[in-house]
Amino acid sequence: MGGGGFTRPGSSAALDRFVLSLTHKPVPKICFVPTASGDQRDQAMRFRERFDAWPCEPSILWLFHLARDRVDPAEHLLDQDAIYVGGGSMRNMLAIWREHGIAQAMRGAWESGVVLAGLSAGAMCWFEGGLSMSGGAPEPVRGLGLLGGSLSVHLDSEPERISAYRAAISSGSLGPGYAADDCAALLFEDGALRECVASREGARVVAVRGDGAGGVDEVDLPVRVLSEVEHGRHASKDLSAVSELRALRAARRRWEE
Amino acid sequence: MPARPPQIVAFGGGGFSMEWGNTLLDDHVLALTGVQHPRVCFLPTASGDADHYVVRFYRAFPASRCDPSHISLFRRETGVGDPRAHLLAQDLIYVGGGSLVSLLGTWRAHGIDQVLREAWGSGVVLCGGSAGSLCWFANAVSAFHEGEPTRIEGLGFLPWSNAVHYDEECGRREAFLRAVADGFPPGYGVGDAAALHFVGTELAEAICSRPGASAAHVCRDGDGGVSEHRLPVRYLGEEAVALGKRPAGEEAVALEDCPAAQAAPPGRALAA
Repeated sequence: MGGGGFTRPGSSAALDRFVLSLTHKPVPKICFVPTASGDQRDQAMRFRERFDAWPCEPSILWLFHLARDRVDPAEHLLDQDAIYVGGGSMRNMLAIWREHGIAQAMRGAWESGVVLAGLSAGAMCWFEGGLSMSGGAPEPVRGLGLLGGSLSVHLDSEPERISAYRAAISSGSLGPGYAADDCAALLFEDGALRECVASREGARVVAVRGDGAGGVDEVDLPVRVLSEVEHGRHASKDLSAVSELRALRAARRRWEE
Repeated sequence: MPARPPQIVAFGGGGFSMEWGNTLLDDHVLALTGVQHPRVCFLPTASGDADHYVVRFYRAFPASRCDPSHISLFRRETGVGDPRAHLLAQDLIYVGGGSLVSLLGTWRAHGIDQVLREAWGSGVVLCGGSAGSLCWFANAVSAFHEGEPTRIEGLGFLPWSNAVHYDEECGRREAFLRAVADGFPPGYGVGDAAALHFVGTELAEAICSRPGASAAHVCRDGDGGVSEHRLPVRYLGEEAVALGKRPAGEEAVALEDCPAAQAAPPGRALAA
């Protein structure tokens, strides 16, 4: 996701529901990873607010706050149906993940079919590289490399990124890739782009690659706008199970203090 | 800046984040700078640059006592432009508690580990508690995720090993003794409210902000086991009493009772 999702107050829920729908599970386990923000509690709270209302088993993986659970972070990630990575500093997040062995766990989760999602730093991290502004000025930062090429986010809300992104691609410091608006997302299956989706009309995804002459070629990709109800996932039937799930969760609040 | 030897003060727990109202350890590190109005930079990295922690730092180190600042590595755009120049210009660098592993990863990503070594060598006093203590040592046991404490390599400015909250948290001491038996370098287990003052890499003295706080030296006994010797710990409050000040140590309030801590997450979020 180029931005959007639950971390933006008042944002549409369509992208978040889309992530859950990709698991094809009636009650998927979804773990939020707020590392890039330094485990900011307001991000985690917004995750809770949104996902607690849906039939799913949400949890949060803290890497800064003391966790009372004995479960190994890598094991916990591998046990999920979806992993949702929040935004913040891409450089810090990847460095911290490496120290905790999370980088390897993410690859393991990906290979075993766990849906990986995220926005901003949490979107760029899956590629070979991204265009990070968490150091102040825009700079290319290496990602996990599960997906080839690169990604740049907040195309519409942070316009200074795109010129730095073009420069990084034409100089070869980043591979060819995509620039995405807030509320737009790219779905990859087996490493290949399957489609672009968005939670609002007009959100863009642009493919950017070097033109071999020191510049770049840019092509707007088709974007399917998700309807607010399309991925409602049998809401009425499942809602009755939500209270039961909550009770279950209250008894074992994993990864929560 | 006065010529100062390399100094590190490693708290087993204590200082403004754990002993609100008891300023003895924080006063002591300020005094070690030898400067009337020292420049003090707080590094809250191990907490993920938690806002409530930064706020408490500024309350504990107001501009009337020192020239306070902090560096956020998660929100670089809001902070100082050149962390290296800023850190090297300090009299005291105060490292907050939290996750040791996350702290080390973030520092390495920004080259802060190298800068701190440079700062230490040039006489900037380094201090901190919990993760902010463990980081200076070659080896540490950390209990960040509950369960068996894990063994972690630190920055190694001090060629010893370290454990914090030594007597207070179940399992830390035992894990540390085992780690030393298994080949950790000799080192120090330090309890809450106690701190070790190193000049160069040698222990100058153990101090505390509460009578009875403890620190121990642990090394292999040459016979497959370990020996643990309790160190003499000087109570900093005696000085305050002698000078006619109220012994701040007796005024210590639990973190739970501190209004500033109410905004903080529940539990021991700032423990290493």
